[in-house]
Amino acid sequence: MATLLRPVLRRLCGLPGLQRPAAEMPLRARSDGAGPLYSHHLPTSPLQKGLLAAGSAAMALYNPYRHDMVAVLGETTGHRTLKVLRDQMRRDPEGAQILQERPRISTSTLDLGKLQSLPEGSLGREYLRFLDVNGHCFPYGMADTRAPTRFVDDEELAYVIQRYREVHDMLHTLLGMPTNILGEIVVKWFEAVQTGLPMCILGAFFGPIRLGAQSLQVLVSELIPWAVQNGRRAPCVLNLYYERRWEQSLRALREELGITAPPMHVQGLA
Amino acid sequence: MAAPGSCALWSYCGRGWSRAMRGCQLLGLRSSWPGDLLSARLLSQEKRAAETHFGFETVSEEEKGGKVYQVFESVAKKYDVMNDMMSLGIHRVWKDLLLWKMHPLPGTQLLDVAGGTGDIAFRFLNYVQSQHQRKQKRQLRAQQNLSWEEIAKEYQNEEDSLGGSRVVVCDINKEMLKVGKQKALAQGYRAGLAWVLGDAEELPFDDDKFDIYTIAFGIRNVTHIDQEAHRVLKPGGRFLCLEFSQVNNPLISRLYDLYSFQVIPVLGEVIAGDWKSYQYLVESIRRFPSQEEFKDMIEDAGFHKVTYESLTSGIVAIHSGFKL
Repeated sequence: MATLLRPVLRRLCGLPGLQRPAAEMPLRARSDGAGPLYSHHLPTSPLQKGLLAAGSAAMALYNPYRHDMVAVLGETTGHRTLKVLRDQMRRDPEGAQILQERPRISTSTLDLGKLQSLPEGSLGREYLRFLDVNGHCFPYGMADTRAPTRFVDDEELAYVIQRYREVHDMLHTLLGMPTNILGEIVVKWFEAVQTGLPMCILGAFFGPIRLGAQSLQVLVSELIPWAVQNGRRAPCVLNLYYERRWEQSLRALREELGITAPPMHVQGLA
Repeated sequence: MAAPGSCALWSYCGRGWSRAMRGCQLLGLRSSWPGDLLSARLLSQEKRAAETHFGFETVSEEEKGGKVYQVFESVAKKYDVMNDMMSLGIHRVWKDLLLWKMHPLPGTQLLDVAGGTGDIAFRFLNYVQSQHQRKQKRQLRAQQNLSWEEIAKEYQNEEDSLGGSRVVVCDINKEMLKVGKQKALAQGYRAGLAWVLGDAEELPFDDDKFDIYTIAFGIRNVTHIDQEAHRVLKPGGRFLCLEFSQVNNPLISRLYDLYSFQVIPVLGEVIAGDWKSYQYLVESIRRFPSQEEFKDMIEDAGFHKVTYESLTSGIVAIHSGFKL
């Protein structure tokens, strides 16, 4: 008794006389005709990118726990901005080094023991303390660096956005902001001014939607102006080779970047 | 996608599951029915490691089972939502039409293979129940001048509201069955329903057991099921298959391709957080044979009076055959 699918399988698996010639078979979506450019890359057509951007924005607003949607939004809307960022990184010596060496911040690349042993007040020690106190910061913290970039159609730009995500926790440490919603919004404003990524700008404006009136007032009157000021004053934070600066004192680094102390302690709010 | 650890046990789906069964007969099988349906079968010898397709990839048959398992494990929870979104609710009409075509009589034993979340099974139960109720009403109307007590007694005596019909939902994927059971609980289906974890290529049932065998949107995910389908059906039993098929209208075909390849993976990513599973879905649809070809294959398998009906310009088709 012939099996149900075997005749068809034999036919479809490359023998001539296919009922549908291979050329007609719709292929996986390809942008500019190339296949995957890096591991996890999913080539997408412009229509798909548009749909993804709209869909992920809506879903992120509808369900704020869908952090993967925020990431997708960033990837699909950020192409132009990422180019600008990448070019600007190339112009800076430290940034160019980062682009060349492609350091990653993750549980596998960080030597937590060494960071623990660093003196108080150093970047490494304070970063570790921040992680201990606040936990990892979804979606950009170490817990989620496993989520790789998928929709950026350039391998170097994919690295730039990955670096931006991994540096997010650093920004929390630099700015002294906790990982509650208020702290996140402040950091988003800082990032929006610094990077100009559409996802940051959207997050900065739509994030406060779910805040209470009191927090909103504090946010608008004090925290946002502070974040914006510091964002404009500081050089691009993506240009900092954090892995080489673990021993540097946090205060010195803040002075170097021109980051002042936050106007108030945000911990108890929101 | 799915965590590798959780499906390590099932990574050889199909073949490997049979191996695991050896010596440990009822491992993993859940059924509320007495053992006569779950026989201790002698398990078949190893099948040849032939090649098959997984969407547009070519994989060995062993691999395909494992990969399909992973796909459905990861989509199980959002399966129904995604179906509604992707087909804009039309899949409900398709399934209703399958039931219409089936036209089950009271006392039918139905086996729904790859029935995961229970859509066909619930519809079957509804159909049979409403049929039975109509029959009861007719009977009562025929008996004139009954007193209220007699009518009430008539209803109370009725123990079996299904008229002897039973449905067994068989699926290889635990997650899908879990979702199905939860739905059954939520919607209040209790009687006449059994959930069995089993492989469509090696069904854990005796020969000649079922009146109707259905597989709705499952056949493109398995490789060789014809022998089993033929085996478990009673003589006179019916094989029904609801599956995506080839569109016969060129304009609609273009639109359908555009929609499938551009929109569906995006929907999968946004709603279920899973691009790849839905990419697999649309690719596996393209790989599936046309209505005529599939009809020939069913005939080859030994079924008679094979017919098919295309729905929605051929986006799906219902194939039907009889074991005589």
